[in-house]
Amino acid sequence: MRRIRLIALSAACATIAIAMSISAHIVRGQREESAAGSATAYNPYPPGILPTDLSSEITRVQREVDLVEGRALARWKGLSHPVLTGQPPVLQNIGTEVIETLGELMLYDRTISPPKNQACASCHMPYAGFSGPIPSVNLTMVAFPGTVHFRAGKRTPQRHPYAPFFPVLQYNQTQGLFFGGNFWDSRATGYKLRIPDAEQAQGPPVDTQEMGFPDTACIAFRLSQAVYRPLFEEVWGEGSFDIKFPLETERICATPGGAAVFGGNTTPVPLSAGDRTRANIVYDRWAQSIDSFEQSVQVSPFSSKFDAFLAGKYTLTPDELAGFKLFNGKGNCNSCHLDGRGTNLKSDQADTSAVAMVNPLFTCFGSANEGVPLNPGDAFYYQTKPDSYGFIANPYGFGYRDLGLGSFLRSAFGSGPNPNLNWKQYAPTVDGQMQVSSVRDVASTPPQCPTTEAPGPYFQKAFFHNGYFKSLKQVVHFYNTRDKYAYPVTSGHCPKGTTEKVDCWPMPEVRNNIDMTSGNLGLTDEEEKQIVAFLQTLSDGFTRPYLNSDTYTGACMKGGSAATQGNEHLVETPPLPPCASAICSVAPVPSPSIP
Amino acid sequence: MSRAFAILAIAVLSGILCAQVTPTTEAPLVRIIEGPKIELAKEYLTVISWTTNNPGGSPVHYGVVHYGTDPNRLTETAKSPIRLNPDHPSTVFRVRLDNLKPQTTYYYKVDSMQASGKSDGVKSPVNHFTTP
Repeated sequence: MRRIRLIALSAACATIAIAMSISAHIVRGQREESAAGSATAYNPYPPGILPTDLSSEITRVQREVDLVEGRALARWKGLSHPVLTGQPPVLQNIGTEVIETLGELMLYDRTISPPKNQACASCHMPYAGFSGPIPSVNLTMVAFPGTVHFRAGKRTPQRHPYAPFFPVLQYNQTQGLFFGGNFWDSRATGYKLRIPDAEQAQGPPVDTQEMGFPDTACIAFRLSQAVYRPLFEEVWGEGSFDIKFPLETERICATPGGAAVFGGNTTPVPLSAGDRTRANIVYDRWAQSIDSFEQSVQVSPFSSKFDAFLAGKYTLTPDELAGFKLFNGKGNCNSCHLDGRGTNLKSDQADTSAVAMVNPLFTCFGSANEGVPLNPGDAFYYQTKPDSYGFIANPYGFGYRDLGLGSFLRSAFGSGPNPNLNWKQYAPTVDGQMQVSSVRDVASTPPQCPTTEAPGPYFQKAFFHNGYFKSLKQVVHFYNTRDKYAYPVTSGHCPKGTTEKVDCWPMPEVRNNIDMTSGNLGLTDEEEKQIVAFLQTLSDGFTRPYLNSDTYTGACMKGGSAATQGNEHLVETPPLPPCASAICSVAPVPSPSIP
Repeated sequence: MSRAFAILAIAVLSGILCAQVTPTTEAPLVRIIEGPKIELAKEYLTVISWTTNNPGGSPVHYGVVHYGTDPNRLTETAKSPIRLNPDHPSTVFRVRLDNLKPQTTYYYKVDSMQASGKSDGVKSPVNHFTTP
């Protein structure tokens, strides 16, 4: 008994010490935040990585996020109160709208970050098809800045429309393939909530380089203070927030994750076992609510030109139709991006196949390594020094290799813990593989910047996991000529007389398991453009307006050519050190070994 | 029975069965229609390609190249995944061979297999090529 008291006393002292330390640090953190964008911000980057307009663009997106949040609040206020009815009880008539509204309020809530400066939507705005909303970031650093200015993630923000339709990650033993999951590396498996998209929503709030809470309990804490808390309680129950948060919770939750002061502790908010369980339940409800919004007809509405075409209400233009035939035929795109249509079209053949699916998702739910070159513009490579919190995002610098699904199966650096040990053995067969995203909304842009392609006016996006491609023309050209124009160089070092992304493709970041379906398709320049034209028919908002796609207040870009779009910002890849052991030496090791 | 049919129909119409995989019937015999040939021969990358009738089976197949500098000892193996387009009558297999020695003659033969490792049983002669 005495021993227990001593332990309790020690724990209390330790908590007070941590709280005091955090308190002192927060003063420094706040000073840093107020100086975000100035010389005192974390900036380990060489010139050309951080865009010059980064601070003003972050402020611009914050305004837009607040605008949408205001609209969602107004929508909530216009709803009548749901009533549980029947057995089992259902929120009759308006239950769907209520939970989707709750998810929307959460998605645009900036208080779900330590200094209340970043919402989920800060990296996923509707006018960009819920991908990255800052053109200059897409053009340069690729990974979006997080709550601490300027930590940054490692990959492009993945579009989340239709992500809720991905199944729970499973290794299909008959096919010998993985299907499902969310995130580029499928690490949101759905193993627990059984909804990968919901588990995806649990990642960024506690990702050190994104919203960055130090403890999942901080989500419950901030939601307990949210103006829309009554809506949460109407959906999930009155007692949801019966959690005794200690006084120091605000100070702890205002400190970003990864701070040295936490000493690696991922549950620094001291809660009783019962309160911890209740906080975990709120964290799950957060995830389920956001998933409900992302799956809703507001985010995943099947309202594109192509959907209208499937319904017989739109006639594809000659270029769109030609692109569609190439998508199914010579381009072989629909071998992964399944479109629910018949295939085997010849150039003089009309598509008369019966509609196999009226809601094709343009993905096979699998993963593939397309052999994309390493992008040295990715801000992740440069975060090798501690920030003012003592956090280092990437101690390996250019020793980092993105093995995608392979790293996840190994629970290696750069991914998350794999919940299924049986999967680990398959890591060498999937090294370099990234999720086959739905191509729906790949071309979505704000109305005033109607394309992703130069000369525009265009909205600059970044494509694939590392944002190496800056236009859809480049993406299609890569599939078409990756092997034809292959050179044994890294990005920024194409031989004289060649142009990177035009007639020179640097070597793949990961050579293992490269999908060879494409790489030398023999498409003409015109045919590449026609496939792009078809991809543009997949943007939602044609049959009815796409909610909140009118919120972009930034500028469009003009001029140049889609073929070389962004090449003026190419960065020379430094000599690459060997792949870090925390990635490439984790058993079962990649085969062949990765240099 | 009718209920089971209805459930199946709903599942198909809602895309549950269609979306995840695109099953095709395994071809009784997989044979080479064209090639194999050296599609590309570069300083650091060689691509060998050939065309077969569509083998069916798993949506991901692997092209397999057994190669070596001695025609009687093809000790090295390279394999590359491709995706079957289920309704295409034929399938192009393409395999990468990275970092071969320059100005060296290599001997090779090809095969293909399902993602599970099951061979398609393709018969291929031993061919050769010389790197630049």
